[in-house]
Amino acid sequence: MPGEPAKRQKREAYKKGLEEDEAALPKKKFYRQRAHANPFSDHSLVYPKSPADMDWAGLYPAHAVKKHETKASHDLSLSEEESRALKAITKNVEIADIGCGFGGLLFALAPRFPDTLILGMEIRISVTEYVSDKIRALRSQHATSAAQDYQNIAVLRANTMKFLPNFFTRSQLHSIFLCFPDPHFKQRKHKARIVSYTLASEYAYVLRPGGIVYTITDVRDLHEWMVGHFEKHASFLRVASEEYDGEGESDVRERVRIMRTETEEGKKVERNKGEKFVALFRRVEDPPWPED
Amino acid sequence: MTLPYQCLAACSRSTGDGDEWALFGAAGSELVVQSSTGIASVWPAEESQAKNREEAQEPAEKRVKLSPAVEQKPNFTTLKVSHDKKHLIGTTAEDKCIRVFEIEAGWRLKQISERCMARRPCSIDLTSNDSTILCADKFGDVYSLPLIPPPEDELNVMPESEKAQKKFLPSASLSTVHSGRNRKVLEEQLKQAEKGRPQPKDAPKFKHDLLLGHVSMLTDIVSATVGSRSYIITVDRDEHIRVSRGLPQAHIIEGFCHGHEEFVNRLCLTQSGRLISGGGDAHLYVWDWLSYRLLEKLPIQAAVLDYFQKHPELELPVPEKEGNFKVAVSGIWNVPFGNSTEEILVACEGVPALFSFIPGSSPSLSQTLPLSGNALSVAFIGARTAVVSVDHMHKAGSTTQIRDDQGVSRIQCFSIAQDGQWARDDTLTEPLAWFSHDAGEGEHADGRAAGTDDDTARAGFSKKVRTILYGVGNLRKRPEAEAEIAT
Repeated sequence: MPGEPAKRQKREAYKKGLEEDEAALPKKKFYRQRAHANPFSDHSLVYPKSPADMDWAGLYPAHAVKKHETKASHDLSLSEEESRALKAITKNVEIADIGCGFGGLLFALAPRFPDTLILGMEIRISVTEYVSDKIRALRSQHATSAAQDYQNIAVLRANTMKFLPNFFTRSQLHSIFLCFPDPHFKQRKHKARIVSYTLASEYAYVLRPGGIVYTITDVRDLHEWMVGHFEKHASFLRVASEEYDGEGESDVRERVRIMRTETEEGKKVERNKGEKFVALFRRVEDPPWPED
Repeated sequence: MTLPYQCLAACSRSTGDGDEWALFGAAGSELVVQSSTGIASVWPAEESQAKNREEAQEPAEKRVKLSPAVEQKPNFTTLKVSHDKKHLIGTTAEDKCIRVFEIEAGWRLKQISERCMARRPCSIDLTSNDSTILCADKFGDVYSLPLIPPPEDELNVMPESEKAQKKFLPSASLSTVHSGRNRKVLEEQLKQAEKGRPQPKDAPKFKHDLLLGHVSMLTDIVSATVGSRSYIITVDRDEHIRVSRGLPQAHIIEGFCHGHEEFVNRLCLTQSGRLISGGGDAHLYVWDWLSYRLLEKLPIQAAVLDYFQKHPELELPVPEKEGNFKVAVSGIWNVPFGNSTEEILVACEGVPALFSFIPGSSPSLSQTLPLSGNALSVAFIGARTAVVSVDHMHKAGSTTQIRDDQGVSRIQCFSIAQDGQWARDDTLTEPLAWFSHDAGEGEHADGRAAGTDDDTARAGFSKKVRTILYGVGNLRKRPEAEAEIAT
């Protein structure tokens, strides 16, 4: 493609400049990336062997169990236990934003739920870099404040359709957000959708009983698809709209409101005067074993 | 030339006169049966082959799509004998079919059903009561099918008119947020809708239920029972070993055995209920899978490398540098002879030996069994004998070079001797001579006999055999496979 090298050069120069100024907010135009990624292909992804091997301290340094200056957790001379200890944090991530895009939801949730660790997961490299750069800038801007703002959010590049259980243990999360996922309009691409009956089993695995999957989309067909697949799954019950719409204060209402208004796609739909379809699903307790 | 047996299965029955056994071997698209009583047969039988060809002229949708010119005979990928020893289940690759055979008196095979799945089955297992087949496919899904199809299966066909009535409505509208390309797709869809929607791919019309799925190619599935609880263990190309509840709660994931860093290809449950997994990693992993705990690693790569170093006459695959040498485990078999020690036999792709490991002992490698050709499959007969199928077409240690010597046996037998070690057992050479040398037609039927001078035909034939026998190494991820373009 002609023009490609110039674009890459510009991006590289821009990112170099950004490195020198810790507190400068990144500009989206240098991070744009094609909206689709194939979840079936072998991207050269980095993912931990198991949740215990995940370098959480690198993502949430303010919450690290052992504060360390260098990235010693990658030191090969360390034993598995020592290396795991260096990667540990004092509390677990409890909210995951799967397909976080440019991170609108993350940045809006961060100050509202300051005591909860929130993780954005995104498959596109460039977009992940943008969110990561923005988190770094916001942390740096708020470094002097006592509240340690934006230390509770982080982002990583991941293909969650394949590797969700590599990051989270059973029942670790209380909320999963699936905001404006790729609709994959073509029928033969439906298997690439982020919601399916079989993937619902994985969401149920990482969610604790009572935890909620939040979904929003502007595509009616995808909305119906997501509702259909979650409702068919015995581990989920649809949450009645009275619980998240209308008057009253609750964490669920707050999260739905943020999801409607703060995500980048949400704003775009607003501008286009499109419709937004919201559906929430609560993870129920596992039933007893049949023969027990 | 006859084809090697890509899979073996065996089955023993107690009769009035003592124990009888039968050996089933899949050579390409044929099943060869030989019993201890000397009964021998081949499926499909000659006359039914001819009949099949006639039937293929009928507009059976699947066939027409698959084979425009020559009828392609589907090759077997797995064989499994039911726990009650009344049925043999096989899967064939090209037509994605699950075939159930009744093992009749006199060890004759009678196919009672063939069910073609939407995706190619990679591995199957049966529930402990033999009522249900669990089928793991290439797209990562697991389906359950009744072993014996219920009679109403034929009736489930949706009437044509109903299909046609469903009018197509595009899922997107112009108000939805999407890129220019998506907008074009939408326009296309609208145009297409006016013309009438192309028929979606036919879903199988027999009873089959989706149980669970990975977003990765499945490589093996095991049904396990512990007390009153049943489990389904599935493994995929992305290192995952997943433990789910068995039917009817297969949608509940109990946990994962994390630890592999390369693809996992085979699972094996031992007598005591431990799980052993192997694939592209240098070690086999031994698991206390109910608590997802890794107990031990068995050094398979070191064992293979050591074997190659001690046998310099073998064609070495690549190992210029030791670090570059990679094994691909193609089979793990639990030795079912009720000894106090647990033992497994392990085969690796393109390696002319079997490796016997005893988990928990030190060293865990107890014996290496040299073979005359690459190890393909293992079945156990009698009270102490392992029958091993070997590749008699390719050179030992090579998956590509055709060997020069002819008449090599397709089967080698080993029995456990007094000292507990495996030893060559030649007492079966004579009884199994037909099974080992002559059974099955190979390619003669297609008029492409191995003796032909046509080099391209030979090359095509050898490539075909290679795809039947050696696919495990292809599961390894290639580092350059980054398929993303930033724009």
